[in-house]
Amino acid sequence: MGKLRPLAPMLAAVALTVGAAACGGGGTDTAADAGSGAPAEKIKLTVGLFSDFHFAPLYEEFKKTHPNVEIVERRAQFNDHHTNLVTQLATGAGAADVVAVESGYVATFTPLPDKFHNLKDYGLDKRQGEYLDWKWQQGVSNDGSALLGLGTDVGGLAMCYRPDLFKKAGLPTDRDEVSKLWPTWEQYIETGKKFAAAKVGGAAFTDGSGEHFRAMVEQAPVGYYDDQYNVVAATNPDVRKAFDLSVQMIDAGLSAKLAAFSPPWNTGIAKGSFATMVCPAWKTGTIKDQNPGEGTWDIAAVPGGGGNQGGTHLMLPKQGKHPKEAAALIDLLTSKESQIRLFKEASALPSLPALYDDPAVAEYVNPYFGNAPIGKIFTDAAKSLKPQKVGPKVGDIFKAFGDALQRVEQGKQKPDESWAQALKDIEKIK
Amino acid sequence: MTTVPQAPPAAPRRARYRVGGAGRLTYLTLLAVAFFSALPLYYSVVVASRDNAALAEVPPPLLPGGNFFANVARVFDTVPFALAMLNSVLVSGTIALSVMFLSTLAGFAFAKLRFRGRNALLLLTVATMMVPSQLGIIPLYMLMVKLEWTGSMYALVVPALVNAFGVFFMTQFLSRALPTELLEAGRVDGCSTWGLFWHVVLPVARPAAAVLGMLTFMSAWNDYFWPLVVLTPENPTVQVALSTLAAGYVNDYVLGLSGTALGTLPLVIVFGLLGKQIIGGIMQGAVKG
Amino acid sequence: MATRAPDRPAAAPPGRPVRAGHGPRRALYRQWVHRLDTKGSPYAYVAPFFLLFSAFGLFPLVYTAWVSLHEWTLLEDEHTFVGLENFSTLLADDYFWNATFNTLSIGVLSTVPQLVLAIWLAHLLNRPLRAQTLFRVTLLLPNVTSVVAVVVIFSQLFGRDFGLINWVLSLVGVDPIAWNEGTASSHAAISVMIMWRWTGYNALIFLAAMQAVPRELYEAATLDGAGELTQLRRITIPMIKPTIVFVVITSTIGAMQVLAEPLLFGTYSVSGGPDRQYQTLALFIYENFTKLDFGYASAISWMMFLFIALAAGVNYLLTRRTKGGLT
Repeated sequence: MGKLRPLAPMLAAVALTVGAAACGGGGTDTAADAGSGAPAEKIKLTVGLFSDFHFAPLYEEFKKTHPNVEIVERRAQFNDHHTNLVTQLATGAGAADVVAVESGYVATFTPLPDKFHNLKDYGLDKRQGEYLDWKWQQGVSNDGSALLGLGTDVGGLAMCYRPDLFKKAGLPTDRDEVSKLWPTWEQYIETGKKFAAAKVGGAAFTDGSGEHFRAMVEQAPVGYYDDQYNVVAATNPDVRKAFDLSVQMIDAGLSAKLAAFSPPWNTGIAKGSFATMVCPAWKTGTIKDQNPGEGTWDIAAVPGGGGNQGGTHLMLPKQGKHPKEAAALIDLLTSKESQIRLFKEASALPSLPALYDDPAVAEYVNPYFGNAPIGKIFTDAAKSLKPQKVGPKVGDIFKAFGDALQRVEQGKQKPDESWAQALKDIEKIK
Repeated sequence: MTTVPQAPPAAPRRARYRVGGAGRLTYLTLLAVAFFSALPLYYSVVVASRDNAALAEVPPPLLPGGNFFANVARVFDTVPFALAMLNSVLVSGTIALSVMFLSTLAGFAFAKLRFRGRNALLLLTVATMMVPSQLGIIPLYMLMVKLEWTGSMYALVVPALVNAFGVFFMTQFLSRALPTELLEAGRVDGCSTWGLFWHVVLPVARPAAAVLGMLTFMSAWNDYFWPLVVLTPENPTVQVALSTLAAGYVNDYVLGLSGTALGTLPLVIVFGLLGKQIIGGIMQGAVKG
Repeated sequence: MATRAPDRPAAAPPGRPVRAGHGPRRALYRQWVHRLDTKGSPYAYVAPFFLLFSAFGLFPLVYTAWVSLHEWTLLEDEHTFVGLENFSTLLADDYFWNATFNTLSIGVLSTVPQLVLAIWLAHLLNRPLRAQTLFRVTLLLPNVTSVVAVVVIFSQLFGRDFGLINWVLSLVGVDPIAWNEGTASSHAAISVMIMWRWTGYNALIFLAAMQAVPRELYEAATLDGAGELTQLRRITIPMIKPTIVFVVITSTIGAMQVLAEPLLFGTYSVSGGPDRQYQTLALFIYENFTKLDFGYASAISWMMFLFIALAAGVNYLLTRRTKGGLT
C-alpha cells in the first residue's frame, strides 16, 4: 500500500496531459481572446455519452462564449452507459454533468423529476416550438411539471429490402413501387406471402417478427400505457392487433427466426437469408458493415405510416454542480446550427422539422443503397409519427412480447398460450 | 534455507526423466488441444486485421488481412490506450504480488499451524467465495463514494489485495506439498514461525505461488464489471477503455476485436517470455519438494 | 470471528509487564515470546484476508440482506419493509425454479467432463516434453481470449444455417439443429463454451500440484510394474486430493454463478432465450436487476448463496469421503 501512495497523483498527472493533448489545447487562448471581465471561476463540465456524437467542434464553439468552462467527454458502451447511470443516480454520486439518454431508456427517468435539473428553470422551454412534438414530449417529466431532457437526433423508420431477391420472386424492385406494395402491415404480409410462394432458395421474407411488432405498436395512438401512465397492454386492442399480425407473419412462414444483432443475423444480411427488415436510420450502418455489396439492399417506406426507433436526449443529473452552464451547453448542442452540422458530419437525423427542408437533408442520397434518398425517407417517417405516452417499463414490456413471439416462432407455444404468458410476465413487472 | 534438511531425499535426475515418457499420441493430443485453445484468439487477430464484413464470411477467412495497424491506430485515436495499459499493468501487478504473498501466508497458517477456530475460519473463507458478486456492486460503490476512491485505482487495488480463492488455493497446495517433518526440523533449529515461513514455506510454495500469481494477474487484467462502474473513461484500465470502443447502436466488432487483441497480446507475450521462468519455477519446486 | 484473533495472544501473557533482566525472567520472557509466536502468529497470518473481507465484503453482504427484506426499486427513494415476502414470492416463482434447474444442468454438463479432462491434460503435461512451455502457455489462451471473440466464434460454430457443427452433422445425414432453441441443445452449446474457457486453467492448477508429488513414488510403482493409468489412479490422484477438492469447490461455485456465456449466447437477452431455456440463476438476478427490482434480485442472490453452499458441500463430501477437515 505504501508503494501505491505516490501512484494516484502521478496517474492524475498523466491523465491531465493526455486529456489536454486530446483536446488540442487552445482553451486558455480563447479565454484571453474573449477577454470577458467576468469573474471567470474555472468550471469543469463532464459529458457522458454512449458513442462518439461528434460533439468536439461544438465544445470549441461553446468555449468561445464560456471561456472559463472546460469540457471533458466520457464515453462508455451503450448498455454500460445506461446501467452505470442508474447506479450513479441510485447512489447519488458519480454521474456526469450532462448525460445522453437513449430513447429506449428515457422513459425510465422521466418519472423522476427530482433526480434531474428542471430545464425550464434555465429557460429552455423556449425551444418547444422548434421540435417534433413527440420528441419534445419524451423529455418532459411524467407529471408534466418539469422539462428533463432536450432531444438531439431521431431514428426515423423505413423498410430495408433486397431488390435481387424481390426480382427472383417476381416482385417489383424499384423503391417507390415497393413502397406502394405495402401502405399497411396487412399488405406487407400479403406481399410476403407472394414472396414465400415464389420459393426463393434459402431466403425468408423477413428476419424476425419482434421489430415489426414494435413498429406497429408505436404507430398506434396509444401503446402499452394510457395517458395516466397505467399499463394497458393487456386491454389495448391495438397491441393485440399488432400481436396477431405478427403471428400471421410467422404462420405464413415469412420469418427467418433470427434474433436481431446476433452473429447469424449479421451473416444473414450478407448472405441473403431474408429479403426485408425494419430499418431505423442507423441500421444502414449495420448493413454496410456486413458488406453485402453496393446496391444489394435498398430502402422503401415502412408500412403503417412513419415511425421512429432510437435517438437521444441530453439530461442534467441533479448531482451536477453547474446546471446553468450545462443547460447553456445542451442548448447549443441541440441548436439548429449544431443539428444540421451533425447531420452533415455524422448523419445524425435532426429532431427539428424546420431542417427537413434544408437541401442538405432533403437531397441526401446514399450510393450504397442504390442512391436511395434516405434524408427524405427517414425524415418523412419521423415527421408523420404521432406522440404516444410511454411509461418507465416500456422496455421490459416489449421484451415480454418479443419473447412471446419468438416462442411462437420456435414452435414452443400456441399463440394464445404465448400471449397469456406475456401478459402474466407483464403483470409481474413492478 | 540451507539449514533445513530436505525431507524426502531427491531422486537422481536421470531416473526421474524416464518416468512416463511422452509418446506420439501424447503429442498429438497436446497439439490438438493447443490448436483449439489458440484458434479463437487467432481468429480475433484475423478479424482485427480485416474489416467487419470478415465476420459475416462463410467459410471464415483463414489469414490475417492488411488492416491491423490501421485498426490499431484507430484504437489509439479513440481511447487513451497507453494510459490504460499503464494503469492495468500497475493494478494487476500490485494485486498479483500482494495476493501471492498474503495468500501463501494465510495458506501456511491454515494448512500447517494449529490454532483454535482454524477449521471454522477456513470454512468461512471458502464460504465468502460463494457470495454472488453482481449485487455487491451497488453497496461497494456506496463505500467507495464515502472513501472518495471513485475514479481512482485504489478502488480496484485495495479490495483485491488478498482473496479467498488464493488463500484456499495455497492452503490446499501446502497441506500436501509441505512435509510436516520439514517444519518440525525447522522448529528444532530454533526458527520462529516467521522464520519457518521465510525459509521453509516460501521455497516450497514457489511453484504454486507462481501459478497463483499468473492466474491472479490474468483475472485482474480481465476484470471488467467493477472497474467499469467505479472508474471513469478519462482514467481507465485496458478493459474499461476497450468497452468504450464498441459504442453506439452499431457494434464495431473490428474495432472491438482489434482492441481486445491489443489488450491480450501483452499477456500472451508476458506468458511467452516468463513462461520458462514460471514453468521453471514449477520444476524447481518439484525438486525441492 | 476475525475480531477474536487479537484477543487470544493478549490473554496469554501474565498481567504484569515483563522485562528482560535476571536469568529466570529472561527465560520467562522467551517462553512468553514463543507462546505469543505459536499461538498468535497464525491469527496474524490469516488476519489480512479477514480484515479486508470485513471492510469490503461484509458490508455489501449485510446490505444485500437488508435490501432483500424490502420492496426496493432502484431510483425510488421509498423502500417498504416487507419481511420475508420476497422470499415467499421467490419460492412460488416458476422462473426461479427453471433457472435453478438450468444452472444445475449446465453446471453438471460443463464441470464434470471439464475436471476429468483437466486432470488428464495435467497428467499428460506432467512429464518431460518438447516445447512444454509452449503447451502450458497455450492452455491459458482460452482464458485470456476476450469473451466477445469467444461468443462470435462459438455462435458461428453453432449457427443454424451456416454453422460448422451443423455442416459436419449434415455430412452424416442429420438435419440442421437450431442450437439456441432447444433446452438440451442450448445447454450443450453453453457447456462447451464454458469447458473450452476453463479446462486449461484448471489443468494448470492440477499441474502445479502434480509437480509437487515426490517422483520416487512413481519410480517405485514403475518398478512394481504399475501401468500409467494405475499410477494416475493410485498415486497422482490421492496425492493431489486437496487440490482436487479445491478445484471441485471453486468450479462448482463458478458454475453456479455462470452469467456471461448464457447472456452473450442469447445476444444480450436477459431472459436466457424466449422460453428461458438457458436462463441461469445469475442471469435471473441480472434480469431483475435490469428491471430495477433490487429487493427481489437481492432475495434471489441470497437463495443462490444457499444453493451454492449446498452444492459445494455435497461435492466436497463426494470428492472426499475421508476423515478430517477441508485439507
